[in-house]
Amino acid sequence: MRTLSNRIDFPGVGFAVVLTLAIVFPLLVVGTWAFTEVWRFPSIVPQQFGLRFWNQTLARADVWEALWTSIRLATMVTFLSALICLPAAYAFARLDFPGRNILFFSFLAGHAFPKFGLLVAIAAIFLQLNLIGTFWGVVLIQLVGTLLFMIWIPVAAFQAVDRRMEEAARDVGASPFRVFWSITLPQAGPTIAAAVLLSFVGTFYETEGAWLIGAPAVRTMPVLMISFINNQMVVQYGAVLSVLLWVPSFLALLFARRVISSGSFARGFGG
Amino acid sequence: MTTGAPALPAPMPDVNVKGRGPMGLLLVAVPVFLVIWMVIWPIISAVVRTVWLEDETGAYGISLRSYAFFFSDRYSLDNLSLTLWTTGVTAALLLVVCLPIALYLRFARGPLPAYVQGLAIFPMFVPSIILSYAFIRVLGPNGMVDLILNAVGLPKIKSPYLTPWGPVIGLVWDNIPLTVLILLAGLGAVSNQSIEAARDVGAGPLRVFWHIILPRIGNSILVAISFAVLGIFSAFTLPYVLGPAAPEMMGPFMQRTFRDLYDPLNAITQAVVAFGFCLVFGLFYVRSVAKNRAP
Repeated sequence: MRTLSNRIDFPGVGFAVVLTLAIVFPLLVVGTWAFTEVWRFPSIVPQQFGLRFWNQTLARADVWEALWTSIRLATMVTFLSALICLPAAYAFARLDFPGRNILFFSFLAGHAFPKFGLLVAIAAIFLQLNLIGTFWGVVLIQLVGTLLFMIWIPVAAFQAVDRRMEEAARDVGASPFRVFWSITLPQAGPTIAAAVLLSFVGTFYETEGAWLIGAPAVRTMPVLMISFINNQMVVQYGAVLSVLLWVPSFLALLFARRVISSGSFARGFGG
Repeated sequence: MTTGAPALPAPMPDVNVKGRGPMGLLLVAVPVFLVIWMVIWPIISAVVRTVWLEDETGAYGISLRSYAFFFSDRYSLDNLSLTLWTTGVTAALLLVVCLPIALYLRFARGPLPAYVQGLAIFPMFVPSIILSYAFIRVLGPNGMVDLILNAVGLPKIKSPYLTPWGPVIGLVWDNIPLTVLILLAGLGAVSNQSIEAARDVGAGPLRVFWHIILPRIGNSILVAISFAVLGIFSAFTLPYVLGPAAPEMMGPFMQRTFRDLYDPLNAITQAVVAFGFCLVFGLFYVRSVAKNRAP
């Protein structure tokens, strides 16, 4: 804008410094704690670095159990979600049927209410169905949380596929399945993969439903971490878990860029 | 990380395949059934169960007794007002923090804006529980900030950990990405020409903001606030880990009433009260998204 580009971008430098301090710095502190053996007040840097607490954390049975629970849970929810949502997304993108618009928007319903209130209302129903404290209760509640983006993102992906290529393939005699497999899927695939990944990562970190419906019988990694923090366990346990826990999120960060950078992201919020 | 947030809605599809009604309905049946069973039905059921109560004689009838208790109970009211306070303060702070960032990102050029945008979106990829832990290590008693202040000979801070400011700081941090993205999308609708035109006739930056930019992004600001309010009002993880034990925000309050006190009726009553307070924001949010996506 105007002459600003010729001078130093002072507001930019200000935002960059403040945001780095507010967003990157706290995470660096956690990262440092994970590799610290001794860090006593008031030293500004740890007195002794080392991997002792990685061994201790990874030797705990509850950590492995929680990790296994989280992975099983996230895999199951993502699988079920893809199984029911991808065909539905295809139908919304390509087929006409009565009530199509209202059904398409019905997936917003779950996001029009304060989330934890809705979880409590669902939990009251689960209480009657004896689903509280069960693996499948947590699966169900997390499955509902994935519906919106597992349908809306793939709908956009299917729509972006070049219809003329599909018609051309059909003209030369390809079966509908062949067209879907060879033309539609390769084009829509990357965006759908991003949606599936988001669904897996979102479920992996989902804390509130897992805590309300699952705990204490079903303990996922975030739930275990809450109890580590509340019980004031060894400081480093939390730090090591944070670093471990962040790995899936980092993968999401790498892959989700393509979805987020496509401008439709925020506009979909009504912005 | 704001998990389960309504993400990436698509434009409403344009349909040109007709006459396959049953097939389409069949394909969407299971997700639609899940929404009805696990969203619509629990809400209706929650409202019905809190007003259709058993009286002393064992007969069922309409009664507002459970709500009367909530609105006369000192502790419930304290929790509600703490929640309203936290929601108001957090939403206001979010606007104060995010609007300048969004304005900067909309109008700046060069390599720095990319870095600033990356940082502003980054919290989306930090789960709330890791954020809570980082908060305690940095702002908690004898945390990193205390260490640094001590090293330069200044007194320690009054830690916001376990005070009402704890959840406020955590929730602002957590909600920055979506707020910035929504405001930025709104700013996309402000044309460069209209701003140049205003500048040509001598308007300063403040007047350009007030008369040209603000009227055009009013709707985006309301959407950002609605979205934030829906998330903050019943937030659980951050208030539970970082907030005071009593009074507590509605999220932890509902959880404790339901799981620790085994009192589903009062927990659902609290949930319906939360629905009531967020109704306007929820309706506005859905209306905006639907309007944007209309075919």
